[in-house]
Amino acid sequence: MPTVEFGGKSFTVDEDGFIDDYTNWSEEWVQYVKKEEGIEELNDEHQKVITVLREYYEKNGIAPMVRVLSKVTGFKLKHIYELFPSGPGKGACKMAGLPKPTGCV
Amino acid sequence: MAKAPAKTEPSQALDQGLAVGVARLTPEKIESTIRTVLKSETGARLSTYVETCIHCGLCAEACHYYLSHDNDPHYAPVGKVKQTLWEMIKQKGRVTPEFIEKAAIIAHTECNLCKRCAQYCPFGIDIAYLMLVVRRIIHKLGCTPLYIQDTAHSHSVTMNQMWVKGDEWPDTLQWQEEEAQAEFEDLRIPLDVEGAEIMYSVIAPEPKFQAQLIYQAAAIFHAAGVSWTMPSELGWDNSDMAMFTGDNEIMGRIKRAHYDAAIRLKVKRIVMGECGHAFRSVYDVGNRWLGWEMPPIPIVHAIDFYYELLKEGRIKITKKYPTPITLHDPCNVVRGGGLHEKARYVAHTLCESVVEMTPNREHNYCCAAGGGAINCGPPYKQTRISGNRIKAEQLFAAKTRGAQVLIAPCHNCHSGLHDIVHHYGVGLDIKFFGDLIYELMEKPA
Repeated sequence: MPTVEFGGKSFTVDEDGFIDDYTNWSEEWVQYVKKEEGIEELNDEHQKVITVLREYYEKNGIAPMVRVLSKVTGFKLKHIYELFPSGPGKGACKMAGLPKPTGCV
Repeated sequence: MAKAPAKTEPSQALDQGLAVGVARLTPEKIESTIRTVLKSETGARLSTYVETCIHCGLCAEACHYYLSHDNDPHYAPVGKVKQTLWEMIKQKGRVTPEFIEKAAIIAHTECNLCKRCAQYCPFGIDIAYLMLVVRRIIHKLGCTPLYIQDTAHSHSVTMNQMWVKGDEWPDTLQWQEEEAQAEFEDLRIPLDVEGAEIMYSVIAPEPKFQAQLIYQAAAIFHAAGVSWTMPSELGWDNSDMAMFTGDNEIMGRIKRAHYDAAIRLKVKRIVMGECGHAFRSVYDVGNRWLGWEMPPIPIVHAIDFYYELLKEGRIKITKKYPTPITLHDPCNVVRGGGLHEKARYVAHTLCESVVEMTPNREHNYCCAAGGGAINCGPPYKQTRISGNRIKAEQLFAAKTRGAQVLIAPCHNCHSGLHDIVHHYGVGLDIKFFGDLIYELMEKPA
């Protein structure tokens, strides 16, 4: 698996650029994905999405439905896509350190 | 005899599922599995193909992997059969675990089952079928790549491909109905309406992550005054990755659940979203596995339905899309379903300028994501990208002639082309027809 260096840290990633292990996630990883995804500025709302994704994944071992993400954060679907233009399954999961979801995505 | 050229091996990331499966193989298991599949499941079709092929190689230049790898014969369709099924037949099943591993990678990730080659074969040999036989053997040997196997597991447990649990589905629909009602006050996403004209079915990534596509479809049906419904229980997901892992038993169960839902709701026909492989599974492969030569209830792909709505004036376009677009012809609905002219009618009705790719229609190059390849996950991303340089060249050419947006009316094509466009820096926005219709249509007050 390839490695990427960012902010003085080294991360192992899969071919789609998702982190190899959820536990290797760190603040530097978030900054790295921000750059990769072309997100201009991270705010509390991004942080909230990341926290919800990580907590859900910790309990369930899978990414939540975008419906659940919306319900828990209080963000409308459109707003989630404004925060993460490549979508909850790609950009948001990647930034939160989740593995790439399986399926037609 | 001339020495066979060495294959240009791309760097292959580890597939843990495949590695574990291969480690468990024994020579006896391989031999008996291959023999059983060949003897009891293939019959006249396979022997006819094997006996008819004269190794002329006309299939080679039909394949995007072959063209993208500078005409490396290992990537020619006939070469892929030679490295997999023919050898299994010739050796009467006595092949090694390493051979099985290689065969799994070739059949799952170096062929998209797009059937372009079948069109160029002078005898019409369906090489995709041969690759599916290989996948069937790989499945029975427990060596299916990890990511797509996970998806097949999801199908078998939940009857949908994204592990969506029972209540999450209607909850998502009601949520999108609520969001849409802010735009269209009396819009409904009608659940379980018996006797509706159509049942609308989608693939599970839509409720899981891309619920806006359900919103858009609901808005389009609402504007057109369509009598429609969706099942609140099993059968709402029309996708079928089990079809691509060779797990035919699960494939059949998924298709039955889908058709059963439509029969239960007494609808006149099923309309499905913009997905290609799902169309193949309901219209060609899955229904026939179940013994239905044609679907038990008429089923139309979104392109077909949009064509109808636009042609009959049930959806009116307020202003044509000004940005020049180019249209990707997905294999399953074009080579497999003949929808290319209808897709063009839709494209020209919606857009001021349609730049044709070359080649196009049933001759179009594949996206390299289909046939379950993108579903095999990250370990094979580079295989898809390096194996489809020819598509990037085709897209660049369309862009040079003015195209700025790429319409891909298929989920897998969408994601696969996104990877190609991104990697090669083509610079095209990718959209579904539904995105454009929703944006351009006359919306009810």
